[in-house]
Amino acid sequence: MSYAPTRAAALGAALRTMAQRPLSLVVITGSSALVLGLLAFATLVAWRVSTLDTPGWMRPQALVLVGGAEGETDLAAVGTALRKIDLVAQADFIGRAAALAQLAQRKSLASAGLAELRPNPLPDAFVVHFVPGAAPEAIEATVAQLRHVKNVESVEYASDTYRKAHLLARVGTRAARLLVLALGAAALIGTALAAVLWPRWEREQIQVLDLLGADPAALRRPRVYAGALTLLVAAALASWLFLALDAWLAPDLQDLAQAYALAWPPNPLPPWSVPLACAIAALLGGLIAAIGARVALRRTRSELRPGDTA
Amino acid sequence: MRKEPQLSDAPVSVPLIAAEHVEKRYGDFRPALVGVDLAVGRGDFLVVEGPGGSGKSVLMRLLAGLEPVSGGAIRIAGEDYASMRPRARAHLRHSLGIVPPGGGLLERAGAVANVELAARVAGTPADEARRRAHAALERVGFDLARDGAAPCARLAGGQRQSVALARALVNAPVLLLLDDLLAPLDAAAAAHVIGILAQFADAGVAVIATARSATEYAPPAAPGPAPGVALPWPARLRRLHLGAARAAAGVAA
Repeated sequence: MSYAPTRAAALGAALRTMAQRPLSLVVITGSSALVLGLLAFATLVAWRVSTLDTPGWMRPQALVLVGGAEGETDLAAVGTALRKIDLVAQADFIGRAAALAQLAQRKSLASAGLAELRPNPLPDAFVVHFVPGAAPEAIEATVAQLRHVKNVESVEYASDTYRKAHLLARVGTRAARLLVLALGAAALIGTALAAVLWPRWEREQIQVLDLLGADPAALRRPRVYAGALTLLVAAALASWLFLALDAWLAPDLQDLAQAYALAWPPNPLPPWSVPLACAIAALLGGLIAAIGARVALRRTRSELRPGDTA
Repeated sequence: MRKEPQLSDAPVSVPLIAAEHVEKRYGDFRPALVGVDLAVGRGDFLVVEGPGGSGKSVLMRLLAGLEPVSGGAIRIAGEDYASMRPRARAHLRHSLGIVPPGGGLLERAGAVANVELAARVAGTPADEARRRAHAALERVGFDLARDGAAPCARLAGGQRQSVALARALVNAPVLLLLDDLLAPLDAAAAAHVIGILAQFADAGVAVIATARSATEYAPPAAPGPAPGVALPWPARLRRLHLGAARAAAGVAA
């Protein structure tokens, strides 16, 4: 039976106990590092994705063709009416002249009979952008409203494309949440595992130590230190794993983003974030161990019957 | 850092320990103690006597601050246990020498380890704690050469009580709380222990001991006292009789 009345002795006791159970130490620190590293990496990827502009193909929009408008006044009235409808975030007017200018910029078309198009008047049109993330059904209902606006000839809206994009985004979000939940559960299981694997107090020891006036804090201290050391090592390993994963996957993710015309942001974490994360992990480990030690000590004491000690 | 109370710093004018109308109940059961009053000062020797089930051990646990009272108060050096933080209560026990029934030893550890642990808990450095443990065990007549390495589970009843007493003495206590210390001892061993306790009482240590009868601590004809031990010493001996679940009165012998 060892008793560690000082902090230095408690640290020594914590290191001795950890060294006496190398397999437990490897399992606990390894699993904690894996969970923390993956969690950190997943969080960083999620943050980077959240900062990206929504790609055009995922933004719901419709082309509203105007017919029968007599002049700019009528066109302005159509634009105003469109913008007043719910879920319409923006309505950009594209006149015939602008449409022809855009077509003229396409060199392949310029030599392929653009002049022949001139006699065929292009329609005036509005590109209507809907509120991002809105439900497909709601947008389709809005599209139906657009069709009833005065001077609107037709509305072109690819409902199928947006439904698929919306579904993909929903599945992706749910998968990410599931991943975070799974990693969080793994962290909890790891903590519980660490508490179970630590040698338990024996009733006899607690009886005697209480009798002798042992400081309750001194009883708990080796466990608190062991918890802090365990998560410190785990956080150091997790940081290495996180940086390795980022170095390995970042180029591919960057290429992927570029393929979709998106700017993949660089890693925003400063170099001192690693030691900071280790320090926070050590504090967290100490806190969890302190709570666990209190609970375990209370449970052991509650098992003592009156008269056991004296 | 907050300074913990020291029993040795208590003023002489205040009883080292006092119980005032102490009650103890466990749930809805019959009260274990009702209306106990006592006051013990430096050098006092109080024997709490009573039949089995009269609450002697409960009273000792309350006096040691191991359990809270249900009613009344226990003051140690004038301070109510109830108003003290758990850490302060624990710290005060460094100044108490406690022997619970059966010794309350770590069964798998040896005699030296058991006694040394008490010194370590009181903050004594490891080497000094070991030296004091040896000295205390020799003081109570424990045969270190023969039984020092044996786990306490394998020691005889008398030897276990010797180890428990050595552990109670190792921190130079101000107050000894001895629960049924003499019960497993034969007459000669009991006389030897009483002699040691008498010397501590002479040196100003307060002793509260439990026994079926106070005569265990003041035998009319103590057979074979150890050389140099002055027996009997009835002038100092006081007794407190606990009836079944009720304290009678504290009276001097």
